[in-house]
Amino acid sequence: MLEKALSRLLAGKRPAASHLLLAPAALWLLLFLLIPALGLVALSFAKNGPYGEILWRLSLDNYRRAFDPRYVPVLLRTLFFAGGTTVVCLLLGYPLAYFLSFRAGRRRGALIIALMVPFWTSALVAFYSWIVILGKEGLLNRALLRYRLISSPLALLYTPFSVLLGLVYFYLPFTVLPLYASLEKVPRSLVEAAYDLGATRWTAFLKVTLPLSLPGVVAGALLTFVPCLGDFLTAELLGGPRYYLLGNLISNQFLMAQDWPFGAALTVLLLAGLVAGLWGYRRWEAAA
Amino acid sequence: MKKSRGLGAYCAALYAFLYAPLIVMTVYSFNDAHRNVVWRGFTFKWYLTMARDADLMRALTTSLELAACAAAIAAALGLLASYALVRHRPFRGREGYAALLDAPLMIPEVALGVGLLSFLVRAGFELDFGALACAHALICLPYAVAAVRARLASSGGSQLEEAAMDLGASEWRAFLKVTLPLAMPAIVSGALLAFTVSFEDFVASFFLAGVGITTLPIKVYSMLKFGVTPEINALSVALLSSTFVLLGLNAWLSARAGADAA
Repeated sequence: MLEKALSRLLAGKRPAASHLLLAPAALWLLLFLLIPALGLVALSFAKNGPYGEILWRLSLDNYRRAFDPRYVPVLLRTLFFAGGTTVVCLLLGYPLAYFLSFRAGRRRGALIIALMVPFWTSALVAFYSWIVILGKEGLLNRALLRYRLISSPLALLYTPFSVLLGLVYFYLPFTVLPLYASLEKVPRSLVEAAYDLGATRWTAFLKVTLPLSLPGVVAGALLTFVPCLGDFLTAELLGGPRYYLLGNLISNQFLMAQDWPFGAALTVLLLAGLVAGLWGYRRWEAAA
Repeated sequence: MKKSRGLGAYCAALYAFLYAPLIVMTVYSFNDAHRNVVWRGFTFKWYLTMARDADLMRALTTSLELAACAAAIAAALGLLASYALVRHRPFRGREGYAALLDAPLMIPEVALGVGLLSFLVRAGFELDFGALACAHALICLPYAVAAVRARLASSGGSQLEEAAMDLGASEWRAFLKVTLPLAMPAIVSGALLAFTVSFEDFVASFFLAGVGITTLPIKVYSMLKFGVTPEINALSVALLSSTFVLLGLNAWLSARAGADAA
């Protein structure tokens, strides 16, 4: 009896069986992802009471407040850092992806795994090490002082530079892997044909390889830009309060200021940015 | 050829950038000094200090238990979901399920964290070990699904399964005797990835850890915030090594899964 029921479930001749097998995972996502997200949307229209309690007097005040001159700099800074990180990652990552796809030969597999290792190690640990390297009496400053390249220590840590460095460090693999995937799809015969027709290496790259790898550039940019918008740890550890980003502002509303409705509105704005990015990407993909 | 060598050198420099922090912390974990910057000779003492730190060891136990729970949940849910997505004939809503299962990867962890925090608190749940395990399972789920889906989609298994059924086995017996053993390396590999993700998760835990729960990354964070000691170097190296072991194990399992499929 039981065996028969299980067999029918596995055979999946009817959609009901498929829905049943997917139900546990779907319920999990419903309970811990969709309902909390809808809860945040609802909360974003509520009002914070004087003792941090939530008053359900619905209004758009929290959204208005997000665009208050006090918070606009944080939003702009977040866009600026996310954009800057994307540009730097693309510029740094494209040659690497090109090398992996066209030149790496037998070492390719090992190099790709090596690229993923820093991604899998805890960002907490890596950023801590960057603090040791970049600090006022850190390794870099000591080395530069010793070789008399500078006369007094540079302020590297807790600056826009260190935030950008941390973001680039963490998100570089996110840019490189889509770039690599799309470079792999460039037909080698087309590049050969360009050479046969007398194109130089550079021309062949500009006219054939680069345009054909554009989908990877867009995907890599999106996969870098969107997570950067919600980054929290980088500015927390390498930036300090002066360079807080949207993620830090959200965290402060929930953990320090205890203004959950305002924090919820900021989170909804973040998620709206994410959805807009994905939607734009889909449109672009469909049009291409 | 000259240009190619320049490109190679550039890539080597980029890899040096990616590995610099990992190397620095490994070297300094053996430094016999209370401050990081000056090298004063080789020592193992920070590793001993770490091993004797009772708080740290408690945090380690919590993190291991949490990762085991999250990985088990993610592997079980992921196996059922992947089976329906790959082996069942196309049904309405399949794309929707697939997109939903990937969603935890795309949503910033800060948003997941504050969303769960406000939901759990307002719904009257305790922020305890169970709540954190559920949240971790959510974050790990896409990894478990991806590993098992790829394995089930590779052709070898479904033919063997059909052969078993042609020989008179029911779907259930074919699943138990053929599909499950064949998918096992991928299930374990997905669970290991899930374990790694949970073990290293900081952001979601940071929002959800109630008063009583301290995971290892949270402990490391508070040590960082309240003064740096070389003990953290040793701890970081220990974490790093465990990541290497887990990833190595995972690569080995994937290679085995690939060999079986061939």
